[in-house]
Amino acid sequence: MFRNYLKTAFRNLAKNKVYSFINIAGLSIGLACAMLILLYTKDEASYDRFLPGVNNIYRIVSKEVNPDGSILMQSGNTGSFHGPAFASGVPEIVSFVRFQGDYVNIKKGTEVLGQDAHRVDSNFFSIMQFPLVYGNGKTALQQPDAIVLSETVARKFFGSADVVGKTLQLQRNGTFKPYTVTAVAKDCPQNSSIKFQMLTKMELSAEEISDRMNWFNFFLNTFVVLAPGADAKQVEKKMMRFYEMDARETIKIVAEKYNYKAKAQYTLQPYTDIHLSKEYRADNGMVGASNPMYSYILSGIALFILLIACINFVNLTVARSLKRAREIGVRKVIGSDRRQLIGQFLGESYILCFIAFVLALGIAQLLLPFFNDLSNKALSLTYLFDVKLVSSYAALFLVTGFLAGFYPALVLSGFNPVETLYNRFRLTGKNYLQRSLVVLQFSLATLLIIATVVMYRQFQFLVSKDLGYNDKHVLTVPNVTGNKIAVFRQELLKNPNIEQVAIRNNGFNVTLARINGNKELEFTMDWVDADYLPLYKIPVIQGRNFSRSFSSDTASAVIVNEAFVKAAGWKDAVGQVVDFWYNNKKYTVVGVVKDYHYAALNEVIKPQLLCNNEDNFGLAVIRIKEGSAAAVLPFIEQQYKSIVPLQPYSYEFKDISNQRQYEAEAKWKKMLLFGAVLTIFISCIGLFGLSVLAAEKRLKEVGVRKVLGASVTTIATALSKDFLLLVVISLFIAMPIAWLLANKWLQNYPYRAALSWWLFAAAGAGVVLLALLTVSFQAIRAAMAKPVKSLRTE
Amino acid sequence: MIKITNLEKYYRTEEVETVALNKLSFEVKEGEFVAVMGPSGCGKSTLLNIVGLLDDPDGGSFLFNGIEVAGFNERKRADLRKHNIGFVFQSFNLIDELTVFENVELPLIYTGVKAADRKVRVEEVLDKMQIMHRRNHYPQQLSGGQQQRVAVARAVVNNPKLILADEPTGNLDSSNGNEVMQLLTDLNEQGTTIIMVTHSEHDAKYSHRIIRMLDGQTVTENILV
Ligand SMILES: Nc1ncnc2c1ncn2[C@@H]1O[C@H](COP(=O)(O)OP(=O)(O)OP(=O)(O)O)[C@@H](O)[C@H]1O
Ligand SMILES: [Mg+2]
Repeated sequence: MFRNYLKTAFRNLAKNKVYSFINIAGLSIGLACAMLILLYTKDEASYDRFLPGVNNIYRIVSKEVNPDGSILMQSGNTGSFHGPAFASGVPEIVSFVRFQGDYVNIKKGTEVLGQDAHRVDSNFFSIMQFPLVYGNGKTALQQPDAIVLSETVARKFFGSADVVGKTLQLQRNGTFKPYTVTAVAKDCPQNSSIKFQMLTKMELSAEEISDRMNWFNFFLNTFVVLAPGADAKQVEKKMMRFYEMDARETIKIVAEKYNYKAKAQYTLQPYTDIHLSKEYRADNGMVGASNPMYSYILSGIALFILLIACINFVNLTVARSLKRAREIGVRKVIGSDRRQLIGQFLGESYILCFIAFVLALGIAQLLLPFFNDLSNKALSLTYLFDVKLVSSYAALFLVTGFLAGFYPALVLSGFNPVETLYNRFRLTGKNYLQRSLVVLQFSLATLLIIATVVMYRQFQFLVSKDLGYNDKHVLTVPNVTGNKIAVFRQELLKNPNIEQVAIRNNGFNVTLARINGNKELEFTMDWVDADYLPLYKIPVIQGRNFSRSFSSDTASAVIVNEAFVKAAGWKDAVGQVVDFWYNNKKYTVVGVVKDYHYAALNEVIKPQLLCNNEDNFGLAVIRIKEGSAAAVLPFIEQQYKSIVPLQPYSYEFKDISNQRQYEAEAKWKKMLLFGAVLTIFISCIGLFGLSVLAAEKRLKEVGVRKVLGASVTTIATALSKDFLLLVVISLFIAMPIAWLLANKWLQNYPYRAALSWWLFAAAGAGVVLLALLTVSFQAIRAAMAKPVKSLRTE
Repeated sequence: MIKITNLEKYYRTEEVETVALNKLSFEVKEGEFVAVMGPSGCGKSTLLNIVGLLDDPDGGSFLFNGIEVAGFNERKRADLRKHNIGFVFQSFNLIDELTVFENVELPLIYTGVKAADRKVRVEEVLDKMQIMHRRNHYPQQLSGGQQQRVAVARAVVNNPKLILADEPTGNLDSSNGNEVMQLLTDLNEQGTTIIMVTHSEHDAKYSHRIIRMLDGQTVTENILV
């Protein structure tokens, strides 16, 4: 029996090539997407779970809550003090390890290379049991000059992994000192939040461990191991009790000195929760922090695609059943009962699904590099090939085959043999199901297309918006400090292709000061020299820029932006005083700059204060002549290497690094585009299949009409208009939903592109046009066919 | 074998109700060869489909081998049908995707005959119908007469006690038609009961008895032998 089913199924597939192609193409694309998403979610869910004993590892995290209950700050970071303090005060905390992201310069021959190197406590490997290839984890980090390398980094520096005992020159406090490799670890797995390349031992001064003021210092990750069976909630309570007792005096001092009224709350975050946490993200040396939103959106798109492909199968199979009605009738006459027919048709859908499934494995493999790029992962199909993934793929196959095959099997097996065998058979009813499914397909496709268009608009808006300063042809070079600054500037300016050189602090700094006597204001603080504002063409709208001719500028002058003036409520800003009471410094405002987007456009422009003090200078900003990059880059590098020999050289173009701020948006954009193209493609081939079948069904009608004198256009229109009507209905369903969703999403951006009606109109017109092309191709072909031929076939 | 009394069948469409069978009664004994004749639309096919358990009557009684089958559900009807009844249609109704051999084999598959036995039985029947040399052809590759021989082969492969033929020669020329009639006569002589609907007085002469119908009722019966 089974062989007979197989035979009919395969012959049917081979005979109806259009039908088979549409279904296999659609299903295999849908399945491939679903496979990739399963791989992705499997990877997300498996994050960090490979570590032995991981369920007892927690991170100490903290929240500062204002008296009114609002949250002042929450962070996964603690200081050097928290680990030892809590471990001594709470018996359930068995051990702790501190972990901090760091970066060192390493000298290799005459070259200086930058290298990520995390600072950890010496017991790191007894808590985080990453496997070692060489060396002993227990003793590896005992000596202050010990370093542990990953296999890849060992190969990078030494050309082999067996390098225990060899030394590297690491820069510490300005000079290079030899450090000895004590162990080499396997590269951390891709689904690990800790992916160290190099570990150094954390050295802490006695004061850092004993001074209770360090309760208020947050700069590293502290992981603790709880005793087996300990209840984390209870431990948190004990931690809070201990903190309130131990830090009581310190809290008072801080409250008085800084007018600090918030209250710290310490909790434990399970190590395995870190990867997907939004509140306490993986940072400070931990990597791969992921937004679960990505999983949802990706899964949603994959589900859409698969659903649309299944709809194609259902619609085409039911529409085509007219052709198979006779076969069904015959089988019933010969003795098949309904269950056997359901079995046969379900079987056929599974055969088709199986072919699609095999193809999908290939497609998924092909798409993987692209998908990895989109999802920031390094997945492979073989990696993670475990029982769970294989069984989820098997489930995917079973569910898809059922989803696609069950309804048609039910309909087809229900045909009345008496009718089918006497050519009296017609598909009854108005085909509401088929129509609704087509509407559903095109609504989903339209939704994704509009989402993509809106996303593109917003992205374009973000990257092309006037920032209030000129970031073109500007490059930045870090690590230019102290007396190197003047020499570097002087040498660079000798090159006619270099127009201006300025200097500023490297990085980003938020701080707080008093204004108007006692009002506290939070703001971004940057340190820049007198050339900075002119270089970026940032207009000074009140007062003046810093100037080398005012020697007092470096000590006491500041420039603020308009947002600062507004927040301070000043009428006349120049001459106002900004009071850093906690380190006894007072500055006077000498100028106001027009607001410019010093941060990404995801944020509104906040108060900014520019200071002229050169202690924090470190980033050279260089404006070059347009089109001179190729000529001038080697020159800058050469100058840097001779003036700043002990630092690694790197540079960045400002406009490119600005664009990089929208990497997330760029990824969403790609993802949506991808989803939209696939959904509309699969929807259209489905529509094509339906129009082929509809035209075939009406072959005789078309023939008769032609004999009676109808023109090609009238016939083609008659054949197409039903389908086009469905597509237009879809537009009316999808557009309001798309409008609401787009609006909601755009609320995330303080600066956003306008949602104009023509965006929707264009997207809608595009969909209709595609559908029209799809349908009319078939309709015109049917209308042009010679009537004699079609009449004779009946 | 078949005893029908006051059989009724209506077709309801949106506007009209057609009476296809109107309190029809007749009887067929085992081993008989009965021809049913009558003008187009008088209900011949409808009757045949009910006798063949493809369709439900709306009233009356239908005894098949002494068992009342009028109220059987689909499963039971399928079961009874596949073991006892073979069908031959005017338009052959072969499955295009299956070869001659596979078409004839199909009823055996549904009755659960083993593959080896199937091969023997199918070849035997194909041989008898003189279509063995075409066993691996598809229906589209055969002439009408050949297709109808395959259809007859398929109808008899399960050794049914009853064969129902609805205008079996309707799509055939006279020589092919005669061949098919000869096949049916041979089968009848070997003991199979046959009920055949036909418009041809010539074909009707092959039977033992002619039932004439008009407007869903039997009007006369001619006994030929
Ligand atoms: N499915 C149906 N729906 C509505 N009416 C039907 C249906 N099937 C048959 N009829 C009607 O029932 C009556 C009997 O039809 P039937 O097919 O049995 O006639 P017939 O004697 O076989 O005719 P012919 O010699 O043309 O084959 C006819 O009036 C026909 O129109
Ligand atoms: Mg008839």
